[in-house]
Amino acid sequence: MHELLLFASVPTHQHHELLRQLAGLTAMQPHHRVERRLVFKAYRKPGVITTRVGASQDVQGADMQRLNKMLNGGMFYTQVVGPVSELAFGAKPSSSRNPDALMSGMGELPPSNENADNSYAYENQPWKLEFRDIPEAGTRSAVTSRLMASSTLPKGDIIESMNAWGYSFVTEYVVEGDIFIHNDIVIFLHRVLHYPTEGQEPNEPRRILPPFETMTPLERTGSYVLQAAITVQDGGNQEMMKTASQHLFGLREQLKSAVRLEQADRLSLDTRAK
Amino acid sequence: MTTPSQDQIKTLEQSRQRLAHLTRSLASLITSLNQSDPLPTWSSLQSQATIISRNLGSVSEHLSENHELLTSLVAFPGPEYPGRTQANILEQLLRTKLDPRVDDWVARGRKAGTSALEDRGSLSERDLADLWDWAPVAANEDARRRNWGGNFTLEERESGIQNVVTGLKRQLEDDDDDDEDEDEEDDDQGEEDEMEIVGARKSGTGPGLEFDIAAVASQDQTPVAPVVPLGEILRYMTTGAPPGQR
Repeated sequence: MHELLLFASVPTHQHHELLRQLAGLTAMQPHHRVERRLVFKAYRKPGVITTRVGASQDVQGADMQRLNKMLNGGMFYTQVVGPVSELAFGAKPSSSRNPDALMSGMGELPPSNENADNSYAYENQPWKLEFRDIPEAGTRSAVTSRLMASSTLPKGDIIESMNAWGYSFVTEYVVEGDIFIHNDIVIFLHRVLHYPTEGQEPNEPRRILPPFETMTPLERTGSYVLQAAITVQDGGNQEMMKTASQHLFGLREQLKSAVRLEQADRLSLDTRAK
Repeated sequence: MTTPSQDQIKTLEQSRQRLAHLTRSLASLITSLNQSDPLPTWSSLQSQATIISRNLGSVSEHLSENHELLTSLVAFPGPEYPGRTQANILEQLLRTKLDPRVDDWVARGRKAGTSALEDRGSLSERDLADLWDWAPVAANEDARRRNWGGNFTLEERESGIQNVVTGLKRQLEDDDDDDEDEDEEDDDQGEEDEMEIVGARKSGTGPGLEFDIAAVASQDQTPVAPVVPLGEILRYMTTGAPPGQR
């Protein structure tokens, strides 16, 4: 699947107005959405890399070469996304303590019963793996287009599975915003929220969410990002891709007086892990 | 009777050119008004009007500069003029009285000119400028002395609002009573609907006024440009790299 995107930066003071404008344009009420996003990074498992540069004696077979390329070629950041309710934030019983979760260490987590009476059950948190390729280079068209794939993950703790697949946890943040649907365009007006930092950054997803008010926006002035996206099932179909970009351009024209939708800097969406 | 000198012919030639400019700009305004649909934007109309008035100015300046020459010049047909075939032009050239239509225009113009001059008797240019200089500041200072936001002033309320002559047919409500209703109706619009009271004072550094717009607006929402560029936000969202690092 391919995804075509346009972005715009929306200053705080314009946010409310733009919400209304979008509601008018799309003839729907904003659909509020809060997501936990976990960033994972692929790492090379020790022992897998056996590339011998310039080794002449054991000429690898074509299959072996291809396998090596698959294993070592693309290393990507990938995201695990889980929708949460705003109510889940700060829904924390007095008994369970954050430090416990923080200290429980690397990857392996004991099945915890400490937050059984919590209204936010980490065990039941649904997750979705979202892979995004680096946007295609050298496209003439003025939209960001990239290969994408998503798949549903088991609920609850995903660290173990992700580790098994060769991904390590990097960080997590919360995305808060509103979704509109305009024909085939998904408009997401959102911003990134940080968890309040209490000493060290934990190296695993939080099991308890802090109160929503304590979350701080990544962008200090609280500005939002407007993202307009169209998903195209068959990225090889030039006709479809063209139609989709035309639709995005149409939206850009319609919103021209309010925001300037633009193609994103390709390198800022670079998901390759170096 | 002498033939005009080189300089005089040049002057005539110049008048012809300036008049031609004027007619051309007038014609272009007329065509743009007649033909363009929708009507031309106000800014283009304004720029055309500026051009026309500049042309008019240059024509009138030129005419008054060469007033003596132009009034003393007399046209007459030379012997080689083809009087039979070009009789119309000849008549035009030899005509000494204005066209009746043009005569009307001139009369109207003169009347408008004199009445405009009469009006000015009350205030001199200088007084007018002074007035305009003083008025915005004074009005503003007066406005800031009051706390805006109701239909009635405190004085009016104290002496009883039923006595106030508003000149309005509908009943003005005293909003002390129904504050809550209004708040419910438009709690997020309420602030925007109110007029902003913008402070103005004489600028200390130079001519003109300074406005306190920013200070007043900051109570609500200051327009702040995002500090972190979009690219950095997207980078953080994809890789978790904090902004400001690469």
